[in-house]
Amino acid sequence: MNRYRIAEILTGIDRRIIYLSILLATIIPFLVGFPQPIYVSKESRDLYNWVENIRDGSTILLTFDYYPSTLAEVEPMSRAAIKHCWRKDMKLICMTTVPLGGPSITERVMNDMATNWAVEELGAKKIYGVDYINLGYKPDYKAVLMGMGTSFRDIYPTDFRSVPLDSFPITKNVDKYSDVNFLYIISDNGIVDEWVTIANRQFGIPLGAGVTAVMAPKFYSYLQSQQMVGLLGGMRGAAEYEKLIGSEGMATLFMGPQSLVHLMIIFFILLGNTAYFLGGRKV
Amino acid sequence: MHDLLSKRLPMMLAFFAGMVIIVAFFSGHPTLTNFRSNMQVWVSIIGGFTLLLGVVSITSVNYRRVRKLEKDWPYKLILLISLVVSGGFGIFQGTEAGTVYDWLFQNMSAPMMSSMFAMLAFFIASAAYRAFRARTVEATILLVVAMIVMLGRVPIGQVIYHRLPEITEWIMNYPNLAVQRGIIIGAALGAASMSIRIILGIERTYMGR
Amino acid sequence: MNPADSSLIEMSVAGFLILSIFSFLYKDNPFYRLAEHIFAGLTAGYYVGLIYQTVIVQQLTIPIYREGKLELIFPALLGILMFTRFFDRFSYLSRISLAFVMGNTAGIFLIQQLHGLVLPQTQATIINPLAGSWLLGAVPGGMIIIAGVITTLIYFYFSKEHKGVLGKTARVGMVFIMISFGAHFGYTVMARLSLLIGQVKFVAFDWLPRLIGVN
Repeated sequence: MNRYRIAEILTGIDRRIIYLSILLATIIPFLVGFPQPIYVSKESRDLYNWVENIRDGSTILLTFDYYPSTLAEVEPMSRAAIKHCWRKDMKLICMTTVPLGGPSITERVMNDMATNWAVEELGAKKIYGVDYINLGYKPDYKAVLMGMGTSFRDIYPTDFRSVPLDSFPITKNVDKYSDVNFLYIISDNGIVDEWVTIANRQFGIPLGAGVTAVMAPKFYSYLQSQQMVGLLGGMRGAAEYEKLIGSEGMATLFMGPQSLVHLMIIFFILLGNTAYFLGGRKV
Repeated sequence: MHDLLSKRLPMMLAFFAGMVIIVAFFSGHPTLTNFRSNMQVWVSIIGGFTLLLGVVSITSVNYRRVRKLEKDWPYKLILLISLVVSGGFGIFQGTEAGTVYDWLFQNMSAPMMSSMFAMLAFFIASAAYRAFRARTVEATILLVVAMIVMLGRVPIGQVIYHRLPEITEWIMNYPNLAVQRGIIIGAALGAASMSIRIILGIERTYMGR
Repeated sequence: MNPADSSLIEMSVAGFLILSIFSFLYKDNPFYRLAEHIFAGLTAGYYVGLIYQTVIVQQLTIPIYREGKLELIFPALLGILMFTRFFDRFSYLSRISLAFVMGNTAGIFLIQQLHGLVLPQTQATIINPLAGSWLLGAVPGGMIIIAGVITTLIYFYFSKEHKGVLGKTARVGMVFIMISFGAHFGYTVMARLSLLIGQVKFVAFDWLPRLIGVN
């Protein structure tokens, strides 16, 4: 069999075979386990250290700026962030700039953490309105971020359940960015730029972000210019944070399949290039 | 009158709104910043109505198709029913956890949307196999860096070569950072000049002409 | 969703819809189309419920009735004006609201770009060229950043023909860009695969075992 024939066979592989191998590569590591030493990058450690050094009991603005499409990647970050903050008894003011699903995801994750995780780990439920609140969504994110610089209440007269903010202890003395100690963004879209250029740059609130891997490469620029204190990039970033807080969760579990699937993609890239070099321009 | 309402008033409003933001930023006077804050509430409220424009048009298009029993009308009917059920419960029962609205989102919308994006994994794998070729020096650099990063960001990469995560970190923090910054600065300058054109009324294509 | 808290019925609804979407990988089929239309309908309905509660109730009704903020009637009218787009004769009226929003956005955007990005990003580039890690003990990281930023800007934004010195710098810029795009590609692959892993885990290890009674 000459090299052109081999190249022809290689380029003729049906796409469904590729799909199937990717599927298997995601399933197998769940069944057999996979080595997963996790190297913690500087940007994740910086974020962890920053939060660790904030005084216990402080107020944090935590965002759920993501669509349901990227839940697998970013929800573990939200959960890890909540664990870290609540271990330090921080108050979490939650909000979202994402109309499709943002407020509902906030409801589900916060209520689950407050009733299940908090009881298991901290021994008591976290109380809505005292330990956390869901402000929900308001349209036009630029206007929302700018308006919140002067008054949270102007933009959010009530929480997501239509109860005025003054009725909650957690928001009684909070009305602008300067009343909050840290801005913790979890996002899957360009809203991070808005937070950096409005909330951080114009109103001076320090911020850190957990973002999808698609977004992450851009934000290294904000790290070096100190417009952002730390960064979690994708599922891997979430796994690093889970390691830092000493509570392995979904992201750590997913690192196994992630490893094998990456190997599989690299294998296909090499295979495709082998075909290319064997066949030259003929194939 | 028509000219005033369709052209001059919009241009004056855009100029006024843009200038309020700029002057408030430079002066920092409390009266102005409060005015700016109130203006944001207005914009947010208008933004809410804008989101509903899409809903109106999707409803009218599909309603017409169902009424005329065009091809695939049963699907369009299902679309309309889903819309009415979700929207109706959202209005009359509320949107918080424990409502039908929330149930529909958590158990139906969210899994479907996640799946649509998850499918891209298959397409990206197939594309990587077919199109990712070391045809030129540039393409080879891209390919090699992509493979280093893909390995460097998963645990198995560390097992293969213990310094891979550090190399990846270096790529992200230096060459990658530099390029991202070049793009950020260049795009920001372009965007800034576009903003000035809008405020001054030179750029009016958003008005539909 | 949190599988531990969900009932089997809830999981089965989600699981069925997930499989219907994935069935598109084989080919277009009625299950996929059904799921697709349910999704589009629910999404539009979601907006209706959301805007009703968060804008009509929370931003308009409550402040107007409880706090007497009557001036909020104006943005409500401007919002309603947006709907004139659907009537050819009056569609020009929607420009009034649109222009107000655009002016506000442009003002915020202008400050954001210049004050929030151009200044701090340029400053961080030139402030200390000797900072950062060293490559092969010779070139400091700060120098790499400066070279990368300048050559990238030259490659992308100089419309003059890339010849001579300009051509050579643009070529260096190209190498930097390829490194960054390679990294970006790697990250994008990673992101998409993570999402797949999440869905596979739900279907194969949370839902199906419970459905057939293994778990």
